[in-house]
Amino acid sequence: MPDKNKTIQEKMDELNALIAWFDSDDFALEQAIDKFKVAETLATDIEKDLKSFKNEITVLKQKFDSEA
Amino acid sequence: MENVLLSVSDFVALTNQTLEYAYPNVGVQGEVSEFKISQGKWVFFKLKDAESVIDCFMAMWQLRVPIEDGMTVVVQGSPKLTKWGRFSLTIKAIRPSGEGAIKKSFEILRAKLDAEGLFAPERKRALPRVPKKVAVISSIEAAGYADFIKIVNDRWGGLEIDVAHVQVQGESAPDQMIRAFNYINEREELPEVIVLIRGGGSADDLAAFNDEQLVRTIAASRVPTLVGVGHEVDESLADMVADVRAATPSNAAQILVPDRKDIIRAVRAQTASLLPLLSRTIDQASTQIREHMWGALANIESHLEGVEDAIGGKRLILSQLNPETVLARGYALLRGMPKVGATIEVETAHAILEAEVKNARQK
Repeated sequence: MPDKNKTIQEKMDELNALIAWFDSDDFALEQAIDKFKVAETLATDIEKDLKSFKNEITVLKQKFDSEA
Repeated sequence: MENVLLSVSDFVALTNQTLEYAYPNVGVQGEVSEFKISQGKWVFFKLKDAESVIDCFMAMWQLRVPIEDGMTVVVQGSPKLTKWGRFSLTIKAIRPSGEGAIKKSFEILRAKLDAEGLFAPERKRALPRVPKKVAVISSIEAAGYADFIKIVNDRWGGLEIDVAHVQVQGESAPDQMIRAFNYINEREELPEVIVLIRGGGSADDLAAFNDEQLVRTIAASRVPTLVGVGHEVDESLADMVADVRAATPSNAAQILVPDRKDIIRAVRAQTASLLPLLSRTIDQASTQIREHMWGALANIESHLEGVEDAIGGKRLILSQLNPETVLARGYALLRGMPKVGATIEVETAHAILEAEVKNARQK
């Protein structure tokens, strides 16, 4: 099952790997339904993450107008 | 002062004190002539206009842009009377002024840095596809910075952006940007990309991005760099030396992060493509199973037919051997001893008879 602590990139990598599995020689019908369900959950998670994530912008306190 | 008698040295010192008080830092624009560098350390030239001329002196390390005779420049410096009685300007900063001079200085420096290989494609490093930690060097008051942040926020989330607020225009801008680059590069936790941005402006406004030391600092950055300065038509040495060059600050934002809408569309399309694939695979598997079953059935049937044929043959042979069949053809079955006077049993197809042997002879 998708892990909530994973980054978007990790989830996307996992989804890509799952999708590649469907086209690979390892494909087995017995596992396909379970893998499809995982892929669907991952896709929903990724979409939710992408929509909700905000950027964290910090203006550095360091001054650059003269040599420190 | 009328009755004060000064030595020559004291007079020179007093004059310098007065000048320093009156003109601690004066800006002068003029045309350069008799430009020369002495011992690789000192720079001497004259600054002139149609009517006047003044000697100028500066340390070589303060010369940040290429200067040639005939160039119009703006200098920042302080006037001084030397102990040999010559009046000169001690220059702290010099920059080309006017389109022609800026362009000429730009071309000279570009050729020099290009010859050193600073713009070579093989030096360029790729940016991470989706960075997590980014440093931005810009003025937070600049329109270009606001455009960049807006587009980054629209396109992507989850980024940690540290912003180094610096001047991006004017005499102190190159040094501030250099300090920001050095500060970021020396931090314990490095970002994955350093983005340097500034919106559009005149050639004079963007001159800071053609500073030789800034260009060398960008080239030496441990962290991959993305530079977007000015409008699309603007060209600066800072963006030429960057690992990735953006046409504008907005374009830098587009290069830095993917668009979440595109990713969502792609993810949806990817998972949606699995369903038909899955049902196609199931269909193929069931067709294959059905074909195997038909094949097996056909095999069984053909085997059965063979067995039936064999049984039929055997049955025919058996029926030929059946005594009833022989009796039906008119033969009779005799039981008992064939001796004269003995009673024997005669079995035909339809009756069983008892008979007495009246005569018996050898054949």
